[in-house]
Amino acid sequence: MRFSKQADTDIKSRGASRPFWLFVFPALIVVLTVLVYPMFYAIYMSGYEWNLFNQTGRKFLLFGNYVRLFKDSEFLHSLWLQLGFIIIALPIETVIGFFVALLLNREGKFFSVVRSLLLLPVFILPVISGLTWRMMLQPEYGMISFILEKLGFGVKAWLAEPKFAYGMVIVQDVWRMWPFMFMFIYAGLSGLPKESLEAAQIDGAGFWTKVFKIIIPYLRPTIATAFLLRLIDALRIFSEVYVMTGGGPGNATLLLSLYINKQAFEFFSIGYAATMGVFLLIIALAIAFFVVRGNIQFEGERG
Amino acid sequence: MNKRKLASFIIVILSILVLIIELMPIFVVITSGFKRDIDIWARGPFYFKPTLASYKSVLSNKDFLVSLKNSLLVASLSTFVSIIIGSMASYGITRYSSKAKEFIAYSFLVFRMIPQISLVIPLFVMFTTLNLKDTLTGVTIAHVSFNLPYVIWLLLPFFAAIPKDYEEAARIDGASESGVFWKIFLPLVAPGLVVAAIFAFLMSWNEFLYALILSSVNARTAPVAVNGLLGQYAPKWGQLSAAGTIMLIPVFIITLTLQRYIIKGLAAGGIKG
Repeated sequence: MRFSKQADTDIKSRGASRPFWLFVFPALIVVLTVLVYPMFYAIYMSGYEWNLFNQTGRKFLLFGNYVRLFKDSEFLHSLWLQLGFIIIALPIETVIGFFVALLLNREGKFFSVVRSLLLLPVFILPVISGLTWRMMLQPEYGMISFILEKLGFGVKAWLAEPKFAYGMVIVQDVWRMWPFMFMFIYAGLSGLPKESLEAAQIDGAGFWTKVFKIIIPYLRPTIATAFLLRLIDALRIFSEVYVMTGGGPGNATLLLSLYINKQAFEFFSIGYAATMGVFLLIIALAIAFFVVRGNIQFEGERG
Repeated sequence: MNKRKLASFIIVILSILVLIIELMPIFVVITSGFKRDIDIWARGPFYFKPTLASYKSVLSNKDFLVSLKNSLLVASLSTFVSIIIGSMASYGITRYSSKAKEFIAYSFLVFRMIPQISLVIPLFVMFTTLNLKDTLTGVTIAHVSFNLPYVIWLLLPFFAAIPKDYEEAARIDGASESGVFWKIFLPLVAPGLVVAAIFAFLMSWNEFLYALILSSVNARTAPVAVNGLLGQYAPKWGQLSAAGTIMLIPVFIITLTLQRYIIKGLAAGGIKG
């Protein structure tokens, strides 16, 4: 982020910072009421054993809920699933995105049409995406189940197989989101100076040498940004999984947001759910801070 | 065929293959919308004799139509509010100085990435107290909470790109601070406003979690209603796909026409909720 070095002279020349506050004020009010206040309220709630339907009977626990967090095997299980989800899905998305970007980094109408069409899944409603995969995995009449059956895997309710369901949740995410990585990497790639590749070509560098010695080092900041953005999204994934498996079978796909939702709105322990929410919030904000710090430039052309 | 031609042939084939695999699920939704529920259960995935039966049921389903209207209202309203307030803030941040500026700017941007599940629990309790649960106002407010920081973030480079001369010329002509903003800057960043509005609309249109938790009957939005078509006993896949296709239409139009802005939009902080 770049800020004007002449901040002092600006203030003098403009008299005061009053206009700044006037313009920022409405947004500030909104942010304070719908974001900052709820965040602090969540922290407040996390201090209580608080049942949704017995609000007067709540008990102050101080850090009790936070202690419970690390004794709750179901929470640790969710955390583990969440971590696995991120560790498996994101690298696959990055690798596919990278190679498809190399494949489609060519001129011509055909490639530009392919590139646009590949973006459609990214913007699909998460709910529709999750439901479609659920439909395709229905035994007997679902497209994927049908193909699996023909390949000799038998007739199964695939989403009722814990390992398979977890795998399919990841596949669904990879399907939807590798084009996101692709777009970033492709955009970065189009800025790569042609001369450096040509020079390497003349030196007799092979495909992999070019990839590792020129392309990847050049794209590193782009990939890092895209990866961090994906990381935040993957950390808070909810809708797709909720409609696809509902966290099941059992708790095989009960990712963090789904478990928090379950504690809050099925078991009604909103105090404890708020605690987990705060835990997730802290992780997300820490990552967000890195993203913002690395990527934002704003300064009007002034002074 | 010489070697070079063969290579470019393979590249084209590969590209088509990637495209087919990637678009398959979308193809499945769209075609299933033209099937009857019963045919989907009974006749396997490759039976296809197009019929409008599922569309007819969905379009005569009052609950779904109301939810579609709710979605439109919530998305339009939250977009409108976010654009007005967000463009002011973005202008303030890029064009003026203040000691608190850096802190405020950072906070707005970081807030874009708050996990919704962390916020929805306190919001649920707050909305219960304020009688905002299951109201369009409530859902709209919740949607503003993620759209506003997003709009601010997206507009920053647009405001920053405008040369200082414009501003000074207007001031010399005696324009007030707010006059400079409304009359000079807003028209100049119009393309940015359009992009921000469209992305904000899309995010609200696609949003599920807040709508699910903060509404029940009256303020239910279309994504929640579509999920409801799963039903208790037998999922109505045909109707579900028809409804899904209807909801995908604006998404596809936007994605395909706004191509060149998409990277900018994505870079401004993720796209989903």
